Amino acid sequence: MRRPLISVLVLGLVLWTLPGCRRKKEEATAAGGKTPLVFKYQPLGDPVAFRELLADFERKNPDVVLTTEALPNSSDVAHQFFLTSLEGGADDFDVLVVDVVWVPEFARAGWIADISGAFPPEVLRRDFLSGPVEAVVVRDEKDQKDKTYAVPWYVDVGVLFYRTDLVPRAPRTYAELEQFARDARAKQPLLQGYVWQGRQYEGLNCNVFEAIWGHGGRVLDDKGRLELDTEPARAGLAYLRGLIASGISPPGVTSAAEEEARRVFQAGQAVFMRNWPYAWEEAQKPDSPIRGKVGITPLPTVSGEPGWGTLGGWQLAVNAHVSPKRKEAAERLIAHLTSPEANVMMALSYGRNPPRPSVYKDPRLVERVPFIASLLGMVENARPRPVTPYYNLLSDVLQSEFSAAIAGIRPPEQALKQAQRQVDHLTGQFE
Amino acid sequence: MNGTVKATGSMGRERRQAYMLVAPAVLVLLGVALYPILAAVWLSLHRLILVFGEQRWLGLENYGFMLGDARFWNALKNTAYFTLVAVTVELLLAVPLALLLNTAFPGRGLLRASVLVPWAIPTVVSAKLWAWLFNPDYGLINRLLPGQDINWLGVPGYALHAAILVDVWKTTPFMALLILAGLQGISEDIYKAARVDGASRWRSFLSITLPLLKPAILLALLFRTLDAFRVFDAIFVLTEGGPANTTETLSIYAYKTLMRAGNFGYGSMLSVMTFLCVVGLSLVYIRLLGKEGRG
Repeated sequence: MRRPLISVLVLGLVLWTLPGCRRKKEEATAAGGKTPLVFKYQPLGDPVAFRELLADFERKNPDVVLTTEALPNSSDVAHQFFLTSLEGGADDFDVLVVDVVWVPEFARAGWIADISGAFPPEVLRRDFLSGPVEAVVVRDEKDQKDKTYAVPWYVDVGVLFYRTDLVPRAPRTYAELEQFARDARAKQPLLQGYVWQGRQYEGLNCNVFEAIWGHGGRVLDDKGRLELDTEPARAGLAYLRGLIASGISPPGVTSAAEEEARRVFQAGQAVFMRNWPYAWEEAQKPDSPIRGKVGITPLPTVSGEPGWGTLGGWQLAVNAHVSPKRKEAAERLIAHLTSPEANVMMALSYGRNPPRPSVYKDPRLVERVPFIASLLGMVENARPRPVTPYYNLLSDVLQSEFSAAIAGIRPPEQALKQAQRQVDHLTGQFE
Repeated sequence: MNGTVKATGSMGRERRQAYMLVAPAVLVLLGVALYPILAAVWLSLHRLILVFGEQRWLGLENYGFMLGDARFWNALKNTAYFTLVAVTVELLLAVPLALLLNTAFPGRGLLRASVLVPWAIPTVVSAKLWAWLFNPDYGLINRLLPGQDINWLGVPGYALHAAILVDVWKTTPFMALLILAGLQGISEDIYKAARVDGASRWRSFLSITLPLLKPAILLALLFRTLDAFRVFDAIFVLTEGGPANTTETLSIYAYKTLMRAGNFGYGSMLSVMTFLCVVGLSLVYIRLLGKEGRG
């Protein structure tokens, strides 16, 4: 009678020892007492240049054994990975990449470490663009201090692409944009006017925030409360809906993300496009039908001053669960990867926009990637999306209400009222 | 067992041994099926938002909030509509398809295999493919259809039906295959007898094929309904639930709440509700199947 019991026990033991059921502690056991360091990031393209940058770090830090681990490219999937692993207390990676909207969330949840010691907020404010710094420096309400939780690695910003052969000059106001689009279409009726991202997803939020800012609005009030039921917000959302209703934008924008919009523009079928700077490189390829006919400019506004594009991009942070020794090594890696020299390399080899304004004036950058150098004004004006730990909770509500307004299901006023009510419900719960 | 044999000592030992033998399987099942369900139920009774790192007992408060949550009812409505329409259309297409595959003609083996191709393609891949076909600017579907271009995935009303079309395209072959298996279980002799009695083909389809096929059809419906009710991947790739949540199903709502927002309490509640709906549906089917078995 004892044998079945034993087999059950054996089975249990087998299950328990299966990899994945337990997490091995591997604290500083790398060869020769060296500190192991694991860097979790999204591959950038041709790895040669980046490997050289990492090898350079290892040469300068012989006490560290560096390993890199790839993350999925989709921001959503990467977020899900960090959500489950960091909440589970994973300590098998030290340095991680963090999307610009995650920093307050991860900091509040206690998943990423305070690195103010190595990167004081005032130094970041001096050396880096203001938008990304606003996103990575989190105010600790308890001791009334600003703390750094991540260091900007590269930045992105929403910009306006236009066809230099179809319009007289870059539009500065919304009225100009509409007029230019209409004039161009009067000559070529098959052209589309203005393509942007209206599918229900995070990119829609970026487009809507830009329209609200362009109408003189702010999304966060002084107390950090998300404020949507305002005149500029109504005007901004109504403007986007109006673009579709008046035919300036094709109805297809309500299902378009970045690539859908880019393909239309790339094929030479649209006058204007809102997108991220990555679309530039494709447009300038030798076989591109719009090569040499594309200009890039800040988004238009009501008043005509240069518009504020949504800030995107990635930061580097330290896993809060790792030992002080590994944290110290992790900070050295972050310093290495975010140095002005590394910024230049990332721009030259991978087309990533530097987070330090000074780097845009580097002669190598100006000479070899003048396009990136020309973005300085736009990245200086880039605004982060509402910096709040519950951005991901709110983003979902905003996406569906914005989408309802864009698709014409609800008038903008009503969509904003509903969004405000749900946001207040979500945030009210927390306070 | 015919009940005349009394359970002797050796019978009792055999039974105990049988229990022992199935015990590991039962343990594994408990571990991988029951435990996660109970854990989800337990979480659904809490307020647990990962960002805020606190877990507080709420009792049934999440369920109370759900009753007034328009987004939940919208997702339930979308899910039910999707399931009902998709499964009905699939059944209507699968039965003739199965009958066709059951007749003898040259190249039948090849056709049987090729019919399964849509089903064999991973859903994410085929959904991406369809997203291209549906694209309003360079998609093939608008090119082929006469009249004005339709923005399939961006207009409420069209988007959910586009998703249904993808599901029908993908899973009709699977259903046809299940029904084909049922068809092959029907003895040729019955048809011969019917022909001797002078029954028409239509008559023998109605009076022989359909009644004898009923268990197979019910089984196919059971599989497909449960599957369709949990639909996630196809719709997520096509629209992510947009525009304005008009294609958001329960699974997508639960995923977004759990994994994007990190709201584990409410998200678990949504998963539990999906689970309960699916359990309800399967009970109905199992009862119907049971009746079939006895009848």
